[in-house]
Amino acid sequence: MDLARTIDAVWKLESAKIIAALTRLVHDVGLAEEMAQDALVAALEQWPESGVPDNPGAWLTAIAKRRAIDHIRRSQRLEEKQELLARELERPPEPEPERDDVLRLMFMSCHPSLPTESRAALTLRLLGGLTAAEIARAFLTSEAVITRRIAEAKRTLAEAGAAFELPESGELAGRLSSVLEVIYLVYNEGYSATSGDDLMRPGLTLEALRLGHLLADLAPGESEVHGLLALMEIQESRAAARTGPDGEPVRLHEQNRGLWDRLRVQRGFAAMLRARAIGGPPGPYLLQAAIAVTHAQSASAEATDWAQIAALYDLLVRVLSTPVVRLNRAVAVGMARGPAAGLSLVDELLADPALRDYHLLPGVRGDLLLRLGRDVEARREFERAAALTRNAAERAFLLRRAEAIAPVAAGPLLGEAAASFLAREDLDASTVRSYGQTLRRLAVSLGERVPLSEIGSADVARVFAVAWGGAAARTWNRHRAALRSFASWTSTVDLVAEVARRVEEPVEIVAVQGIDALLDRDDVALRERVLWWMLRESGATVKAVLGLGVEDLDLDDRRAPAGTGWVQWRSRTARLLPGLIDGRSRGPLFLADRRPGPGRMPAPGDLCPETGRGRLSYERAEYLFKQASGMTLRALRQR
Amino acid sequence: MRYLMTTLPTGDEPEFNEQMAAEMGAFIQELTASGALLATGGLEPGGVLLTSKDGDVTVTDGPFAEAKEAVVGFALIDVRSKEEAIELSKRFWRIVGNGKGIIQQVFGP
Repeated sequence: MDLARTIDAVWKLESAKIIAALTRLVHDVGLAEEMAQDALVAALEQWPESGVPDNPGAWLTAIAKRRAIDHIRRSQRLEEKQELLARELERPPEPEPERDDVLRLMFMSCHPSLPTESRAALTLRLLGGLTAAEIARAFLTSEAVITRRIAEAKRTLAEAGAAFELPESGELAGRLSSVLEVIYLVYNEGYSATSGDDLMRPGLTLEALRLGHLLADLAPGESEVHGLLALMEIQESRAAARTGPDGEPVRLHEQNRGLWDRLRVQRGFAAMLRARAIGGPPGPYLLQAAIAVTHAQSASAEATDWAQIAALYDLLVRVLSTPVVRLNRAVAVGMARGPAAGLSLVDELLADPALRDYHLLPGVRGDLLLRLGRDVEARREFERAAALTRNAAERAFLLRRAEAIAPVAAGPLLGEAAASFLAREDLDASTVRSYGQTLRRLAVSLGERVPLSEIGSADVARVFAVAWGGAAARTWNRHRAALRSFASWTSTVDLVAEVARRVEEPVEIVAVQGIDALLDRDDVALRERVLWWMLRESGATVKAVLGLGVEDLDLDDRRAPAGTGWVQWRSRTARLLPGLIDGRSRGPLFLADRRPGPGRMPAPGDLCPETGRGRLSYERAEYLFKQASGMTLRALRQR
Repeated sequence: MRYLMTTLPTGDEPEFNEQMAAEMGAFIQELTASGALLATGGLEPGGVLLTSKDGDVTVTDGPFAEAKEAVVGFALIDVRSKEEAIELSKRFWRIVGNGKGIIQQVFGP
């Protein structure tokens, strides 16, 4: 038997309790985790010789606690020591201090001062005992990124002075919902695998369930805790039925219910009953669990109680009116009250920018259109959904649905027409790029395979409102002009008839002293702001600044070597830089937006080893600044 | 992954006493709360033997001669690894004392 694996198993079972107990002793979660890690290292060193102790958990705890007590004894400042001991003595006796410590640890790792993704990483680390490498694999990112995220999170907690305490009753609801959010995020990350070819990454869903059980055990009086657990158990019960033999998704009503895991369904029921027994108005997790339970209760898809589900969605949309919930509600209403009723709810969502590129919206719409006999539109929606999804199995499935509907010959299609329009020889490169942006957005929103003859000016007006409604007048008019040109070339109807030209502010000739105002605009991307501020503060050449590598930067002294001299910056750049570096350790500081194509692979020094993107080019940087200011980058160097 | 832990008779079973019952109760409670324990139970000795041969199913009431290989009790657990299953079984045996058991991974459903 592999000893390292045994130690790992013991660690995963015990580490949360150990870290929680140590955090109470040393009042620093980062330090506590280091000491617990020391105990793990000691086990790795000693167990091969001594064998696995009878009670390995107790062994690890004892070693770790000894480290903590040594640390307190060694602690330089006497008053600190006394303070620590006094705090320990003043603590009122608790019936089960160990359990509450783990709950405290959970509240801490889901602290609101942390960004959500850091909370998730830290929770998996501290409560789930996962290594940085395991977390990285689950989130499809690099170990370095996770290690940095966890280290930063610990620093933030220390700086924020996050107390190792249970929240006061006044803030309990908010803090608890932060914990629930993290657990459900972990679950969903595993359940829906947003990208990649593997539809489910089971490790994360089970990790989330484990956290859910842990929380339900520690905070049994909270109805939403049991609601979330019920929701996850029931969703997990369908894991085996949710994908077909080739990994393609199987929709709920087509699933083989014999594959549903009855043990999980039963546990889901039980958790929901516990939540209901606690009483109070049902929260969003309990309502979602109730919906999942209603599905689980029906013996066949046909027997589904859609009226009940639609009614639950009516309640849910009041407490959780997210676009996705509204979309699901439309599905339920479509089943309970007919496809026309569902479609009218879906159509309300078409104007929501949050769902602009969400593949399930055209997917659901296609379904409803098909049931209404509007085959041509349905086919187009399935194709559009296929183009939007990032999951390969799902894309294949949507394309099959589209192909099952016979196409109707209706002249040239949008995608083809756009491609030949852009291939014209009389357009220069920058026009092609600019027109290309407009047409790509149109094709993503309406579908590449929609016949030109079927695009109405109302469709175009909707795309404009959703995609560029908030953009500057100049941007709006540029897209409008591009589309007019396209319409006249294809001799179709006036596509922009319902898109009004916007009045442009006279192009601002920014005086040099006005540049700082431009640099403060927060609608400008971070990369551009750093670049502009760095040019402004350093007075260095554009070439020198664009040539900087992350490894060159001396953040403390605010300078980096360039050629024979230095690029030196000041406070504004310094403030923005960490966000741009975003944990990278080497490679170009300023990265291009996309990865380079295989035919144009830059030199290794111009390629970020972590993201695979190339160095931002002078031309692109110049173009972006010109767009924003009407000036060239050199203007930034003048003081 | 799921594992079925079964206990087999050895003829050397310790007496089930109150302390053991309390410890076992707490252990089962802990495993249920953590979500690791899916199902558990004890089995009647003997049972009914079914033999199917060429389309004929013969039903015979127990007990049987091979009773010493019959399963006494079982627990179905959901854990991260075989090592975790072994670690949990070790805790079980620390409470029960002498005995013999098997752990097998369950595939499916």
